Amino acid sequence: MNNHLVKLGLAVTTILIVGAAFAFFSTPTGYNNGYAPEQPIPYDHSLHAGTYKIPCQYCHSNAESSRHATVPSLNICMNCHKSVKTDSPWIQKITKAHDRGESIPWVKVNMLPDYVRFNHKRHLAKGVQCDTCHGAVEQMQTYYQKESLSMGWCIECHRRPENNAPTSCDTCHY
Amino acid sequence: MEDQTFTNSTYWKSIDEKYQNEGWRKVAENEFKNSPYSEFLNGTNRRDFLKLMGASIALASTSCVRRPVDHIVPYANRPPEVTPGIANYYASTYAHAGQGFGTIVKTREGRPIKMEGNPSHPMNQGGLSAMAQAQVLSVYDPDRIKNPAKQNENGEFEKISWDDLDEQVHKQLRSGGVVLLTSSLASPTTEMAIKDFFTGFNGRHVVWEPLAADDVMNGQEASYGQRVVPRYRFDKAKMVVSVGCDFFGTWISPIEHMRDFMKGRKLNSNMNKLVVFEPSMTLTGANADTRLMVRASHQVSVVMGLLYEIIVKQKASRYASDGQVLAALKKFENVAAEIGVEADLMSAIAKDLWANRGASIVVAGGLAGRTENAIALQIATNFLNTVLENDGQTIDATNIPVKSFEGSYAAMKSLIADMNAGRVKTLIINNVNPVYALAKKFGFEEALSKVQMVIYMGQHVDETARFAHYLAPDHHHLENWGDLELQKGVYSIQQPTIRPMYDTRSMQLSMISWAYQAEVGPARLKDVDSWLDYLKNAWKQKQSEVGSIGPFDVFWTNFLKEGVVDTSNRNGKRNHGGTTRKFLLSSLNKITKSKSDGTELVLFASIGQYDGSYANLSWLQELPDPVTKIVWDSYLMMSPEKAKELGVTDGHIVEIKTSSDVVSVPAFVQPGMHKDVVALAVGLGRTSVGAVGDGIGVNGFTLVQNQSGEPVFSAIPVTISKTGQERELANSQGHHWMEGRQIVVQATIKDYLKKADANIHKHKVFSIWPKYEYKGYRWAMSIDLTTCTGCSACVIACQSENNIPSVGRRFVIEGREMHWMRIDRYYVGDEKDPQVVFQPMLCQHCENAPCETVCPVLATTHSDEGLNQMTYNRCVGTRYCSNNCPYKVRRFNWFAYDTIKKPLNLALNPDVTVRSRGVMEKCTFCVQRIHVAKDNAKDENRTVKDGEIKTACQESCPTQAITFGNLNDPESRISKEHAQENSYGVLEEYNTVPMVKYRTKVRNTEHLASDHQEGGHS
Repeated sequence: MNNHLVKLGLAVTTILIVGAAFAFFSTPTGYNNGYAPEQPIPYDHSLHAGTYKIPCQYCHSNAESSRHATVPSLNICMNCHKSVKTDSPWIQKITKAHDRGESIPWVKVNMLPDYVRFNHKRHLAKGVQCDTCHGAVEQMQTYYQKESLSMGWCIECHRRPENNAPTSCDTCHY
Repeated sequence: MEDQTFTNSTYWKSIDEKYQNEGWRKVAENEFKNSPYSEFLNGTNRRDFLKLMGASIALASTSCVRRPVDHIVPYANRPPEVTPGIANYYASTYAHAGQGFGTIVKTREGRPIKMEGNPSHPMNQGGLSAMAQAQVLSVYDPDRIKNPAKQNENGEFEKISWDDLDEQVHKQLRSGGVVLLTSSLASPTTEMAIKDFFTGFNGRHVVWEPLAADDVMNGQEASYGQRVVPRYRFDKAKMVVSVGCDFFGTWISPIEHMRDFMKGRKLNSNMNKLVVFEPSMTLTGANADTRLMVRASHQVSVVMGLLYEIIVKQKASRYASDGQVLAALKKFENVAAEIGVEADLMSAIAKDLWANRGASIVVAGGLAGRTENAIALQIATNFLNTVLENDGQTIDATNIPVKSFEGSYAAMKSLIADMNAGRVKTLIINNVNPVYALAKKFGFEEALSKVQMVIYMGQHVDETARFAHYLAPDHHHLENWGDLELQKGVYSIQQPTIRPMYDTRSMQLSMISWAYQAEVGPARLKDVDSWLDYLKNAWKQKQSEVGSIGPFDVFWTNFLKEGVVDTSNRNGKRNHGGTTRKFLLSSLNKITKSKSDGTELVLFASIGQYDGSYANLSWLQELPDPVTKIVWDSYLMMSPEKAKELGVTDGHIVEIKTSSDVVSVPAFVQPGMHKDVVALAVGLGRTSVGAVGDGIGVNGFTLVQNQSGEPVFSAIPVTISKTGQERELANSQGHHWMEGRQIVVQATIKDYLKKADANIHKHKVFSIWPKYEYKGYRWAMSIDLTTCTGCSACVIACQSENNIPSVGRRFVIEGREMHWMRIDRYYVGDEKDPQVVFQPMLCQHCENAPCETVCPVLATTHSDEGLNQMTYNRCVGTRYCSNNCPYKVRRFNWFAYDTIKKPLNLALNPDVTVRSRGVMEKCTFCVQRIHVAKDNAKDENRTVKDGEIKTACQESCPTQAITFGNLNDPESRISKEHAQENSYGVLEEYNTVPMVKYRTKVRNTEHLASDHQEGGHS
């Protein structure tokens, strides 16, 4: 057999194996579970949702009506904080922003890629509880991403026969 | 026409295809128009490619794998009507240069992202033109004027504040000699404000626009003593004759015309008939049942010839014994031979007209009708309509005439005279661009230098703005309030749907402010805080006038909600015509025969560019012209004979010489042109509009002739000569090959009524696989080729809805256009005089989709609702699917079109993924709209109702040619459409089982007069 051909074959195979391994290990597969970025204001879910038992949808008020659960606009914070704990510098920061008509740039925690469409409203209407995906938020001092939010994780639930959920690609991708 | 019954017609898309020319064959035999390796051919070879790949792997490994930090920025105070993720819809109105539409503007998080037609608006009835739909792009145009400015000595515009501007302007205004130059506003309250303004300041309002319909008004005035643009009632006309008038494309109210015309396009023995005499191929001509080519200068002879047939030869009508009429007709005795139309055919058409008197309509006008003899053409047409007893029936000039056309060249002429005489001290120009659209020989530019102060209110620093001392930028109409009376008694509201993007101020508020500061004008003008206050005050007065009683707030809210108050529709009376008017026979004296010899130039307005105002919108630049399919360029349309005579083919640059001007432009060989006519579009060749529109094509307006102030757009004597240079035209069609397959099917109404599936070749197909059982919904579409006019509104609707990028001239040439929906134009017959069939082509959502089986990564698959779904994030860009798609509807992102210049990104639809480089895409059947409808249905615990989902193309279609719905519901409209016998699938023989079906194009080639029942001509 031609020696050159063997060498070339070996070289190509090596490149392919290395490349495949590289592609596998270098792509981010961690999906950010546990991602707990520092927020501009150290909002404490365990205090609001845990201790004071404020229902999730008091603040995330569009979860039932829209695709987005939405981070509350500042006037919702001010509903209480006009009078509650006004001496805190963090609350003063919110008040100041609100009065100026400015906003707070919260750091996004649960991030789905742009090509994935998730609809909060549909899941709530089906009776899925917030903690199924978001974990025990009432215990989180700093909010973090609980689940992987990977496609495999979504599909695992959608495939369960009792859920009778759609699994067509265009359910989420369009 | 070779084959009158279309049984064995051969269709072709280009002359090259018809004759299988060598160069074309080479291109057609390739699967893709250009090779992807062409990117590497200039300088980059395979080894460099591998090096690049290596480098990118190395770079990837050093970069951080953590995702980018993203922010959520909530509202400080969320407006109660805005819920992120849910669209709001506002009724509004859009009018430009006379054409007006009731619109529904879809907004998301406070920004307009889509324009739809308002179904309850009596004029457009839900349809919306391509130009109107592109308005969501124009509000975000990065080249808009962003602040008031003053021109300094170096000719640059320096930013100033509104206060400074007002200070200087109001003092100047007090010295009188003020002229406000606008286009047709059609807004009763704006006009009231202007009147108030001029009670304070000495001056006048001048209305002009480049594509004015004043030829119609002049003709009406001469014929009936009434200066008016009538409402043309195509819905009541069984026999329609157009003489050079593109009423489907750009004339008066095309969307309304198309919708109304199609009401009579019923597949029974009562089907209407369209006969078009025209010099160059237009959209209307392409839709004609009988199309006859005539010289532009022969249009008067056509109408007079028809009159001669009816009155003299057939001795019909009460005018048959009128000496004055007979004298006027004498000169037109043998016109048929003169204009090159068979005499028999001429008399058959005249007979058809007479047989349908009172239910026929003859129209002439538009740019092709504006010859030196324009007034004669209008008077002759009016007389023909009077003879046919159409006036008051199909022509309504008294009850609901069009109010939106007011602009005239006569007004412009007097303005120029005033400017030259120094009577104009201040000229305020609002949203018209005479320096561009009025040829230099009219003298506007020169006269402008004699005006002390020129104030420009417009969107762009355009050709006219360059001469302004001050820029006082007006709001975009999507940012401004207003009202419009498009037809008499049809009031529509213009609601703003976005907060002004820049430091602009509405023209009305500018006038209010100047009156306030100069302390002049009536109290109602200067004592209001805003233009909205003035508008509301006016409507408080007007409320009772439009027949509304009760509290104003209720009326106003309802007005905003409905978008329209139609007083012409009281007691369901909108459907009656006007009153018959007395025709002034003395006007016949003005009719003379035009002289004609040599080559004639016809200027025309294109659907995409119209008067050139929106040249900076890439969507419109890349909208293939319905007839030529060329984008991003000017070209001179000419007949194959003319091209042969000149020795030119497509892309050869020719020189057009009139008595006073010379323009060079590439030639385009267009089947169906009269052999002595060449045609050029106006609306291109802008030099100062912005990054997109500058320098595209040539300015056709420069060739307009000045006939003592009146423009001549048509039958301009020209000489054409070859220059020897070439420029490739960006033609979005013509490089495919049909190989004789059945793609479009036509039938005559006679054959259709005998056998509904006439001319459809049926194929026996079988499958070795069992059929999939669709249990829930099964989405499907039907397109009626009979009612599709090819107007291309759907193309822009799809582009706007689905975030489709424009690729630019070069990449259209390379065959990389991105439109998910295209309108294929087919010719049949002789290339000198072909018939045209339009066919919208989009992803057919085949049940056995060839694309799906070849995707190596399962990026394209079939959903259990029958959708051919495309999962962008799985796609690795092999393009196998596109290769295997027999319909050629898949589009590949060769570049990262997702990097969009700000703020144009605000026009994106957030419900549709913006695709990135290397990804295949195609029509999704507007799956995002299916999701919204299913979502709403689930909320109410029901299934989706028939008609609840409208795809973007369907919603915009002026003639409702598109039906969409659930095929699993036997009662749905789509099931019934698919079950029609004349419904067929394109390339059914491959057993792809397309979910888009077409209904054959049925043409009425019969003669309507009873003694001609078995007629037909060749």
